[in-house]
Amino acid sequence: MAALIRNLGARAAVAALASKHVVPAVGGAALRMSTCPPTKADKPTIRKPDAVARTHLSDFGRYVAECLPKYVQKVQLTSGDELEVLIAPEGVVPVLQFLKDHHQAQFTNLVDIAGVDVPCRKHRFEVVYNLLSLRYNSRIRVKTYTDELTPLDSACEVHKAANWYEREIWDMYGVFFANHPDLRRILTDYGFEGHPQRRDFPLSGYVELRYDDEKKRVVCEPLELAQEFRKFDLSAPWEQFPNFRNANPPAEVIPPQPEKK
Amino acid sequence: MVMSSLAPPQSTGLTGLAVSTNPHHTLAALYCKILRAVGKMPQESSYRKYTEQLVNERANALNNNKNIPDLERAVGCGQVEELIVQAENELVLARKMLGWKPWEKLVQQAPPKQWDWPPAQIMEPKV
Repeated sequence: MAALIRNLGARAAVAALASKHVVPAVGGAALRMSTCPPTKADKPTIRKPDAVARTHLSDFGRYVAECLPKYVQKVQLTSGDELEVLIAPEGVVPVLQFLKDHHQAQFTNLVDIAGVDVPCRKHRFEVVYNLLSLRYNSRIRVKTYTDELTPLDSACEVHKAANWYEREIWDMYGVFFANHPDLRRILTDYGFEGHPQRRDFPLSGYVELRYDDEKKRVVCEPLELAQEFRKFDLSAPWEQFPNFRNANPPAEVIPPQPEKK
Repeated sequence: MVMSSLAPPQSTGLTGLAVSTNPHHTLAALYCKILRAVGKMPQESSYRKYTEQLVNERANALNNNKNIPDLERAVGCGQVEELIVQAENELVLARKMLGWKPWEKLVQQAPPKQWDWPPAQIMEPKV
């Protein structure tokens, strides 16, 4: 009975809201969503890309590509609204300096530098710079590539924050940064050999440490595995997510010139 | 606390950024230098075109607004001290750009399939 009375009260409140173009679906829900009318059943868990923001981002991407045609290979939007600028490895310093100092960009914060290892490519490492512009409240990602031997230019002269991030990449992937003021290991232990984030680095490592009771100290020995190497084939014969087959294109390329209409 | 609009502000409210004593003079000199640096680039360079356009806009706003709050409102990109910092950055960038020559054609095409994602679709082995 009490529930019925509460329901009636909600209906009365809904009737008062109805004059503001609010179409209530259910009494209780309509009160919470009084600002936006639910037009049809949409999935609230999926974030809709904002069309205006997307236009701004693709315009800015085109602007960067037009200003720096020597270095920008490709501009794309990923996940709907994340701008990525893919550059040639020679252009790391010019592109970052442009994005930092240009009036229209002002990406003064270097949020992170990340590495990606894809061994089947000719240049197996990707280096990803995430930048933030506090002035325009926007983010951009700059990507470049290199292999095991080719050094990349260090971004330290542009962003002071790049120092430790580049040491981290050097430690984890073995990408060499030219002109870095202090390129040392940063995360791994003293005397560590190898670059543990590479795809071909074994999960167990190459050496193991244990306390030796006879020598009364910790000894470091090559790892011996009890099991032989096995190749696991993890691909399944059926499709895992058929509903998402065409749902999310991983990247949408922004053409250099806007289409003529 | 409301600051008096007539007296010059005591502080910018930003750490490490002091109040500028003669912002109009500083800004005018900086914009002039930027235009001179950018003028050495080739005519068809997009960077030159856009930067000249923007700096000219700001220089016009600077000439038309003798009052500092009016100038800040007209430009709409922060306080006048921040405008000075931005102009200094642009000047450094323009001078470096003269060395880099970013208006030339692409230095190096991306190797085929370099930017493909997801990479699992690349089946052929390297070399």
